[in-house]
Amino acid sequence: MGIDLGTTNSAACVFDGEQLQSVRSAAGEALTPSVVRIDQRGNVSVGTRAFRFLQKDPDNTRGEFKRLMGSKHRYPFAAVGKDYAPEELAAQVLMSLQKDVESQLGVRPERAVIAVPALFELPQIQATSEAARLAGLTRIETIQEPVASALASGWSADECRGAWLVYDLGGGTFDASLLETQEGLLRIVGHDGDNFLGGRDFDLSVVDWLIARVAESSGVRIQRSDPAHASAVAKLKVAAEEAKIELSRSATETSIVIEALSVGDQHVELIEEPLTRAELETITLPLIERSIKVCGRLLRAQGGPQLERIVLVGGPTMMPALRARLQQAFGAPFGSGLDPMLLVAQGAALFAASAGLDARASSQAAKAATGPRVWLQYPAMTPDTSPFIVGRALDAADGVKSVRFTRSDGEWQSEWLALEEDQSFAGMLSLKRRASCTFQVEVTRADGTTATANPAQVTVVHGVSIGEPPLARTIGVARADDGVAVYFERGSPLPIRKTFTHRTVENVSPTATDYALRVPIVQGDFPFAHLCRLVGVIEIPSSALHSALPAGSVIELTLEVDRGGALTAKAFLPAQNLLFDHVEQLLAPATSPEKMAELVAQLEQRASGLRGKAFREGARKAIVSLADFEATLATARADLDAARGGDQDAAEKARRALIECDGVLGDIEAANAWPELNARAYEEHTHASHWVSQFGSDQEKRALSQCMDSIERALRARSAGEIERQLRAMTRLKLTAYYRDPDSWARALDQAASDVQGATDPSKAQSLVRQGRSAEQAGNLKELERIVRELWRLFPVDQEERSLSFNSGVR
Amino acid sequence: MSQHALAENPFLVLEVAATATRMEVERAGQKLLAQLALGVASAKSYKTPFGKHERDESAVRTALSVLRDPEQRALCELWYTDSTASGEPNAPLPSWSDALRSIGWRGPCTG
Repeated sequence: MGIDLGTTNSAACVFDGEQLQSVRSAAGEALTPSVVRIDQRGNVSVGTRAFRFLQKDPDNTRGEFKRLMGSKHRYPFAAVGKDYAPEELAAQVLMSLQKDVESQLGVRPERAVIAVPALFELPQIQATSEAARLAGLTRIETIQEPVASALASGWSADECRGAWLVYDLGGGTFDASLLETQEGLLRIVGHDGDNFLGGRDFDLSVVDWLIARVAESSGVRIQRSDPAHASAVAKLKVAAEEAKIELSRSATETSIVIEALSVGDQHVELIEEPLTRAELETITLPLIERSIKVCGRLLRAQGGPQLERIVLVGGPTMMPALRARLQQAFGAPFGSGLDPMLLVAQGAALFAASAGLDARASSQAAKAATGPRVWLQYPAMTPDTSPFIVGRALDAADGVKSVRFTRSDGEWQSEWLALEEDQSFAGMLSLKRRASCTFQVEVTRADGTTATANPAQVTVVHGVSIGEPPLARTIGVARADDGVAVYFERGSPLPIRKTFTHRTVENVSPTATDYALRVPIVQGDFPFAHLCRLVGVIEIPSSALHSALPAGSVIELTLEVDRGGALTAKAFLPAQNLLFDHVEQLLAPATSPEKMAELVAQLEQRASGLRGKAFREGARKAIVSLADFEATLATARADLDAARGGDQDAAEKARRALIECDGVLGDIEAANAWPELNARAYEEHTHASHWVSQFGSDQEKRALSQCMDSIERALRARSAGEIERQLRAMTRLKLTAYYRDPDSWARALDQAASDVQGATDPSKAQSLVRQGRSAEQAGNLKELERIVRELWRLFPVDQEERSLSFNSGVR
Repeated sequence: MSQHALAENPFLVLEVAATATRMEVERAGQKLLAQLALGVASAKSYKTPFGKHERDESAVRTALSVLRDPEQRALCELWYTDSTASGEPNAPLPSWSDALRSIGWRGPCTG
């Protein structure tokens, strides 16, 4: 089962190996509005039934909660006097979908794949998993929405070759992905998007137009920023959406009718505004152009490939004007026979099949056979017509000698595959194209008899597969000295898991009240922790300790990212045999409008400085970026206004817009720091080649030359992030080589000896320096290294640096 | 010592030729992952011109992800043919300053 848990609508799809079947709701529709209503008796209704109350009873009916998943926001329900978290409401939608599947197929699904937007960050993915858990799903995986739509469009295409553009215009966001397709193997080569462009913006531009017309015809002035006008604006929004859908389908002209509109003490009985398709096109054209610009940017970044196909996803892509403009801009045909509203759910269902996530977990296990047991490994779905199947016999007592597979249509049979010494075997299956194939499994025993194996049969689907997108951002642990211990570099294949040893930086007593040692987990490509984004914290509370934990204690950290991008982390204190695995997930901060207004002011100030510099120096690129910044900041201001009017969703949008603005300015600032970075790259290379050429292994020399190639490419692309990343690798190589130099530890000892008064325990430091000197004289390098490392741990961490790195308690 | 880098060449890890199609690469990787999941002994190591090397799931996954990217694959193809042709290649390091000059870099900026 695959689920598209959408902002406005949700859908579920099931895949039986050959057919994709969309699940109909009790109301008979493929789409379930993501709306939940709770009445005064506590009865919950979801979907179409709840949707009808969205206008009539807004205090007890909630929609669009997906946007606030992972935030602290809670939705009050007046009639029952309770409030619910967004994930609790999402769980209600999931349960409703599960019920629909059950009534259609007779099985209650326990496992599912849920699609999440590409821009979802860790806390939001975690909240989605939590919603699934609340809905009673025992195992779920998440998949990025563009990946899901790509998978579904690949499945329905006969010919799978060339470059495809997936154009996904959802309710609130726009995503463009470029795919490379080859014989059913899909790969996402590039991705771009606009987090502030969606169907809602199309509706809002119609609303703004309506507000102007209403003011003109009746003199009633409605303001989106006034909380008192909220219900009137909501009314206009619904009318605008209806008109947009009508004009997208067949009508070339419609009229918007709104009854009984009240704003403050002003009242209008009836508003009737004609709207033609041509007018709608004029109103929405700027938004369409924005999306085209994003696609153009994506294609240019990937070397401008010839598009073979455009795949449309999302309700707003039904608009004829949008389709015509896309066709004109890119000239490629649209994928035919695809339903833009269901593609994501279909892709999620296909992914569930390829990941072996069978919704009917329990019923499958029930039909256990009795023959000799074999353990088989094979892909549940593969684009390969002759995939490998490998296995091993589990009971030596069965005396299994060989294994054979027979396709159930009788047209193909494998050889008898003989078992190796370790009871294993390997063979190839033969699949029919685009079909689900079942194979009978037989074995021969030592006594020459044949028997049906347990399991008696296996099923493999010939379909599409997708190389999952690798890790999008570098993830590491913030060190107390504002450094970052990088665990996973951007681009690593998932899943991935690594363990490193750290040291604590301060004494923690079990009796200290309300104190916790913090291990901050950050993402980003910067060498300084404070520039990276904090995504989670493991806290080791003093109360959990068995005994005092002195500074410099060993702490082993393990970070793991699963295929869906969800992060888990563990901290282990070997000395006390204590394991901490609770990661405090950072909630997307619920920022108040006042706080955001402050941010806007700060951003403006930063921008004005940069603007002056850009114009003085005629830096064209910066000037263009600043224009983009202005546009984004303008939307943020508008959303901030609406947020003051009580629109939570607009607040979230404004927050994201401000993060993006900050990013744009950050890029310009980075570009200004370019000469500095350039110089640092040069200097670092000089040092690295000096040490690596003397003490590095051939492998390290090669790695260094690879690093240089990458830096060269990054210099050409002016990608500061990539240079930082490569410089980090270069520094590691340099240090490895440096500490091979027999003199390096002696130099380090001299350095430490000169700072000895600054150590946390000067007398211990003194004695270590003495020990070090004698080890040096005795030529015992191993011992010298150990002593120097111990000395280093005696030097305190600068408190200012520590506060910058999220109060990290480790280094 | 260059042996390590060369021995970790994805083509060696997956035991496929540098001319293998993408499907052949995926097929080989899938087979190895399955065998490793079953604990098949022969999958736990692979032969290289420099002797046997250990192989685990993460090595296979990394090799697959490298070969899926045409740019990275091209580099591996180059090294792979190198290693079989001459046995012990030892290409000199390209000069950093030449590399920088070729892209229009004129030395550290001071302003």
